Amino acid sequence: MRSLIGFRSLVEREVIRFTSVFLQTIFPPLVTSFLYISIFGFTIGQKIESVDGIPYLNFLIPGLIMMYVIEGSYSNTSSSLFISRWARHIEEILVSPLSYVEMVLAILIGGLARSLVTATGVYLVSLIFVHTTPQHPFIMLIMAVFVSLSFSSVGAIVALFAEEFEHLTIWTTFVITPLVFFGGVFHSVKMLPHALQVITSFNPIFYMVNGMRYGMLGVSDVSIGQCLIVVFCFFICLFSFTVFLFKTGFKLRK
Amino acid sequence: MAQSIAIEIKGLTKFYRNFQALKEISFEVKEGEFFGFLGPNGAGKTTTISIITGLANYNSGMVRVFGYDVVREYRKARALIGLVPQEFNFDPFLTAEQILIYEAGYFGVPKREARLRADELLKQFDLEPYRKLDFRKLSGGLKRRLLITRALMHRPKILIVDEPTAGLDLELRYRLWDFFKKTNEEGVTIFLTTHYIEEAEKLCNRIGVIHQGSMIEVDDKERLMKRMSQNMIEIQLDRQLDTVPQELSGYGVELANGGNTILMREENQQLSKLLRSIHAHGIEVLNVHVKKTTLEEVFFRLTQGKP
Repeated sequence: MRSLIGFRSLVEREVIRFTSVFLQTIFPPLVTSFLYISIFGFTIGQKIESVDGIPYLNFLIPGLIMMYVIEGSYSNTSSSLFISRWARHIEEILVSPLSYVEMVLAILIGGLARSLVTATGVYLVSLIFVHTTPQHPFIMLIMAVFVSLSFSSVGAIVALFAEEFEHLTIWTTFVITPLVFFGGVFHSVKMLPHALQVITSFNPIFYMVNGMRYGMLGVSDVSIGQCLIVVFCFFICLFSFTVFLFKTGFKLRK
Repeated sequence: MAQSIAIEIKGLTKFYRNFQALKEISFEVKEGEFFGFLGPNGAGKTTTISIITGLANYNSGMVRVFGYDVVREYRKARALIGLVPQEFNFDPFLTAEQILIYEAGYFGVPKREARLRADELLKQFDLEPYRKLDFRKLSGGLKRRLLITRALMHRPKILIVDEPTAGLDLELRYRLWDFFKKTNEEGVTIFLTTHYIEEAEKLCNRIGVIHQGSMIEVDDKERLMKRMSQNMIEIQLDRQLDTVPQELSGYGVELANGGNTILMREENQQLSKLLRSIHAHGIEVLNVHVKKTTLEEVFFRLTQGKP
């Protein structure tokens, strides 16, 4: 019971951290998603034929939601953990009786909370342009939760390896954003030449975007089973590695 | 009832790459003690504290806190420790009050209880007017008090304090000394590192001295000072002497203060004979004063000349 109090306290602190600067954490995705939907989906999308029988605007929205889930969770944990290393208040946690699993899970839940708030916000913004009724809301939730926890783990791992703040943005610019864009947020894999289709099948974000698209629209480039397996495996590997880094004290303990 | 062991360290070794920071150090701190851990800069004090509290790994040896291994049973060990670090390590997003309440929360203290405890400690440390301020807006002295307050939120059994009064004015230093004394009298074991040897002399009942990663002394403070003592008797004369008169040379005395003072080690125990001899030599004694050895001198003697 006392242990749960510790865990809850850390989760609460992580949530307060991003809500207290909501102008930097929650609003920007809402503004940029509005721009994406209005320019790509609403204006240009009218000139594009439907994709798999789905109007392009509807096709775009689940991909965008997944993009913001990934971005929000990565940004949250990477900045939170890096700042706490830099300002050394991570020591408050390290000297506490919280278990390493609790420490990691609480930090990841901070990223999860931020990405769920953002994803809900992006969905609400999309309703301005088109009304889409989720086909499998439970699948959407499962995908959002596990993708968010996975990229929260990525954020935590990068924050532990990073020596400077710019290392966090290097990862976003050179790894995450290209994988997201090639993962099928704006297009179906069927639109690509065969060689690129094969390469895309190695991109885990492809399965995440398609899992979300299946949950929302009931269509996907790959089976939902495959999407779920990839996402669960991705999460288990990244979560275990993050706990391992905390347990061994990598860049945390001298 | 037998005193239990609050901190037990055996053969502790720590390397930073090729540099050996701790060389198989061993010592114990008993429950209820006020233990002073002294050593020059870079001797290994903060490394030792970091290992006890979980902020550093070690290469070999064993560290237990109230019988709990700090690695295998880290949760039980850490629950008993309150750490006052040398440097400020507050969350910049939180106010002073939030810092205290979250800290208590990490240690499993329910929020309602944590609020009461925060009220009590904020009053005790005169931090009440600053409770809603970000820690960045606090002065150095207030931040230092907040560090101590934070460490006490979960009522630890042992308080580990790393250089608590560095950079503080005298008034606050004395207030903190009173507070540490009172906390120790209430049964909290205190493990203190300090540069101010006077601080250790006033507060601690046992002393450990570390130098270049090795423990060179651990003893009861009084016993250590007695053992290392070189108390001197200063005899102030009515005139200036150029050399020690031959009649007095058998007492092993020396001249000081330009020949106005005769110095003799207290352990010679020949004061009355010496005074009679001085008088017989036609010299008047103006004053006799015993200069006690300070812990600072003992510390200096222990660490000076060590390889």
